[in-house]
Amino acid sequence: MIRVKNVRKIYPNGFVALDGIDVHISRNEFVYLVGQSGAGKSTLLSMMYKAEIPTSGDIYIDNIALSNIDANQVPYLRRSIGVIFQDYKLLPRRTVYENVAFALRVMHFSRSRIRRQVTQVLELVGLQQKMHHYPSELSGGEQQRICIARAIVNNPPILLADEPTGSLDPDTSWEIMQLLSKINARQTTVIVATHNKSIVDDIRKRVIAVENGRVIRDEQLGLYNT
Amino acid sequence: MIRDFLFFTTEALISIRRSGIMMFISIATITVSLIVFGIFLLLSANISNLTTYFAAKLEIRAYLKDSTRPDEILDLKTRFEAIPSVRKVEFIDKNTAWEEFKKNYPKIELNTLISDNPLPNAFRIILSDSAKLTTVANHLKGFESVEDVGDMGAIADRITAFSEYTRIAGIILVSLLTFATLLIIVNTIRLTVIARQDEITIMQLVGATTSFIRWPFIIEGLIIGVIGSVFSIVFLIFGYSFFVMRFQEKIPFFPLVYSHFTLNIIYLGIFIVGTTLGVLGAYLSVSRTIKSNY
Repeated sequence: MIRVKNVRKIYPNGFVALDGIDVHISRNEFVYLVGQSGAGKSTLLSMMYKAEIPTSGDIYIDNIALSNIDANQVPYLRRSIGVIFQDYKLLPRRTVYENVAFALRVMHFSRSRIRRQVTQVLELVGLQQKMHHYPSELSGGEQQRICIARAIVNNPPILLADEPTGSLDPDTSWEIMQLLSKINARQTTVIVATHNKSIVDDIRKRVIAVENGRVIRDEQLGLYNT
Repeated sequence: MIRDFLFFTTEALISIRRSGIMMFISIATITVSLIVFGIFLLLSANISNLTTYFAAKLEIRAYLKDSTRPDEILDLKTRFEAIPSVRKVEFIDKNTAWEEFKKNYPKIELNTLISDNPLPNAFRIILSDSAKLTTVANHLKGFESVEDVGDMGAIADRITAFSEYTRIAGIILVSLLTFATLLIIVNTIRLTVIARQDEITIMQLVGATTSFIRWPFIIEGLIIGVIGSVFSIVFLIFGYSFFVMRFQEKIPFFPLVYSHFTLNIIYLGIFIVGTTLGVLGAYLSVSRTIKSNY
């Protein structure tokens, strides 16, 4: 489903963020991308939805090289990939409902279909009671749930999460991870970049460890450290 | 399509309501620029009106010697009419002229100063081509019965040159003003776009196409343009009629532009320029911001 082929990323200032990454992720897999801050996890995820472009090498999604997708097609690529951010990236002046509905609006869905899908997804993440609140009125965990709802509302085959628990307390982090597992069980490939050791060790999945821009370990049902 | 359009319009209106001060500044800037633009248009319309007014008034008077007999006068009329570029020849009897003069200037008590009619018999010669004024005037001087020729040749030449210069200067100034207004609008809308940079980034992350992101801003630009144009047109309508009123008190019968047709064309022009600039400005500023994000 996702194939990363010899990807290198060197920033103009000479910093080598990724130094020859080769990874293959199958359909419906759940993968942790672990490593220190600055190890290159976020850069790799950003490349998968073309927010960053490799200096060399390429990424293939369903055998389509991302380097062949030009700027006009990027929006369509992004509709098949849900993204969850550490800082949630919600529209502050829109309600919970509007934030989630927005992802469907850009796809020109009808009003009734938007209402149906948004209500369903808010139920899934447990926020149907708060759909008319503004993000600022909600807790960090609840905001992260909106972000997740927005990412999955159109049932994308791939869900990328960049430090989804980075700003949350342990209990809330646990709930968010349960939710991601649930989404994975609904036939969605999930990739979570994290440096949350306890979660990786408790919810055992495939672990890809990145250090200094290289994959140093890749094991099924791995631990955060060896 | 209609659903999207409604969505974009709602988005634009929400954005206008939310960024109150910014919108006020944008609309005020456009209004002021368009007022300057409009004042200039009204000014050039008046200058052009003035030149045609004077050009139409171009005439030559040929004053006849007192000794000229009536049959000679009739003969002269025919001969004057035969001169090329002469459109109309009209005889002005000295007595009629005198009566008219006294009627036109009743305040000057001429009767107490002069008892006799001091005016000569004359021909009023109206030309079909004002550029030939000097040539015709010189030709008239050659007639024996013509004592003197009153012409405005020098003035005519200057008016023609003046109207030509104002036309060229007008085109240059209007282009510069349009360009300046466009720059102002681009930059003001850019401020609102930059203020919503985060929002645009999020839209791009969830898969919004460039045109989807751009439309609400363009409609916003259109609305700003329309409101700015309407404000400036209202200001100009009142301002101009006030100006005309005050001016006429000081200098009556001065040939100002009153024609509703001309004025409406000017106001329509301002409206078109204002809304076009609003849309174009929004398009340019939002395109620059979006490109940097893909």
